[in-house]
Amino acid sequence: MVNEKTELWQIIHIPDKPPISPAEQPTVNAFASVIEPKLANTFIRRLNQIAPLENLRHVKRIQKRNDEKGKNQLSVILCLASETENDKQSNNLPENVQELINSYQLSPFITKVCKYAATSREEWEEQCKLWPTSYHPPTYNINGITGFGEEDSQSVFDFMKVAVDLAKSGGGLMVNAAVIVDPSVQQIIATGHDQIYSWHNKTGTENSHLKKPASFASNLNSNGASHLTVFPNNLHNGPERLYVGVSCLSPWQWCGQQLDMETSCYLHPLRHAAIVAIESSAERDRRLFPGLLHTEKSFEVESMQSSCAGSPAKRQKTNLANVEDGKELDAHSEATSVRPYLCTGYDIYLVWEPCTMCAMALVHQRIRRIFYAFPNPNAGALGSVHRLQGEKSLNHHYAVFRVVLPQ
Amino acid sequence: MESQGQGEVCSPETLAYMELAIEQAKHALDCLEVPVGCVMVESGNVIASGRNRTTETRNATRHAEMEAIDVLLEQWQKNGLSVSEVAEIFSKCTLYVTCEPCIMCAAALSILGIKEVYYGCANDKFGGCGSILSLHSSSNQPHNSGEVAQGKGFKCTGGIMASEAVSLLRCFYEQGNPNAPKPHRSVTLQATHN
Repeated sequence: MVNEKTELWQIIHIPDKPPISPAEQPTVNAFASVIEPKLANTFIRRLNQIAPLENLRHVKRIQKRNDEKGKNQLSVILCLASETENDKQSNNLPENVQELINSYQLSPFITKVCKYAATSREEWEEQCKLWPTSYHPPTYNINGITGFGEEDSQSVFDFMKVAVDLAKSGGGLMVNAAVIVDPSVQQIIATGHDQIYSWHNKTGTENSHLKKPASFASNLNSNGASHLTVFPNNLHNGPERLYVGVSCLSPWQWCGQQLDMETSCYLHPLRHAAIVAIESSAERDRRLFPGLLHTEKSFEVESMQSSCAGSPAKRQKTNLANVEDGKELDAHSEATSVRPYLCTGYDIYLVWEPCTMCAMALVHQRIRRIFYAFPNPNAGALGSVHRLQGEKSLNHHYAVFRVVLPQ
Repeated sequence: MESQGQGEVCSPETLAYMELAIEQAKHALDCLEVPVGCVMVESGNVIASGRNRTTETRNATRHAEMEAIDVLLEQWQKNGLSVSEVAEIFSKCTLYVTCEPCIMCAAALSILGIKEVYYGCANDKFGGCGSILSLHSSSNQPHNSGEVAQGKGFKCTGGIMASEAVSLLRCFYEQGNPNAPKPHRSVTLQATHN
């Protein structure tokens, strides 16, 4: 039953740059011609010499399409055309291209090709409708950018369910919730939810969240997706009032929302879910790896640097059996595992797209991937108002995904 | 971009407060933390100070500004201030910080509705007050108007004692940060000319 529901779930990569619709993508004109398939190699070799596509390396020279009879039809780009030329007046062709046309009796036509390489898979798919291009995912290779396997998707959905349940755990008022996960061992590292009106002192929160991960994880399957319908698919379909408790949606609203509170007893306007979760993961770090000397740390930083460039799967996968039972690893085995540098290699699941403060906090803490369920049009910093994953000057970049929940 | 350079002659008070922020930054350096410090001033009184504490806490969000803000909220919680009183005091607060607030801190200062910020050197990689984003400028508003509160801007002036702030940072990075794979706050050698 649960599986039936989850088929409606979707994971969408939110790229570094706003996706450009096919109509708005800058294009250039090129002369192309249908050719005999057996001559394809000859043409490619010759044309790469006499009319190389210098600044259009992402554009494929050959287009393969099925014609009306279902037969393969190959077209080749002969050379670029000026923007004013039309199909019939191909007078300005370079002489050697013209010779080629004459000797093979080609009939050139004008086609549009995309001027810039695609920055996302979605963009690439749109580009190929005009003329095929090649797509190279970002140089930082973060798992998921090129798609998720079935197993990985299921795990993403399961962790998002944990975040959604946490967002509803406060009773009537919905809040944002965050779950930090080590994907290499499928383990919840820390959780947090908005606490802007429920900030207890630093010592007060210490114990409560230590138990949460285990119990949440073990409840994953029984919780299912049945009660997710509380959330409308589109934020604006629901009564806005339901979401006044979500700090990231209206970060400036804390002084307007009194919520029957006379005193600032538990007030902390910056205790957004992501900030709380980061604090909790830092506490865990200090608890599990107390008092490491600087010499040890620097050694570790080096090893983290080399591994984070590649795959995080290099991280030890010792206690997978334990994790599948939903238990937290015991102190002994964790102490022997590699101490992480901040949240390097970790993922975070948030119910709402984080605000600018939270999104930058996640850059600082070196989160590897962010999954959120609902966009935040007022204050979101992962594509809605700002797009921190595309700020080149920052020293760390995470990959961002939206997880669309079933209606 | 809204922030003014140090061409403007700043008052002796401004320098005195920045001096206190520099003291905090030096304290951070002594503790092997990235040397950034700040003080929060309301009605002429220093009501809180803070310095970077990211290494000790293993929490990279524990910047000087966040530390000072927590000091204040904890204190006001003890004194039983109301939510509106908290909002009112924040709106009268001026922050003096040795380095331009990062994007996170600038957003936080906007959320709190702080009045004004004076900073030392610019933050070329992370700055949220003009270098990368301009979160202090109130024109930076979401499109969705109506009842939802909009981002609050604050007045921002950079370049106060920038060379002192930079030399502390340079000092830190020369001795090497054993904790970060890459520098955390950029060392801006040209900060004095911004």
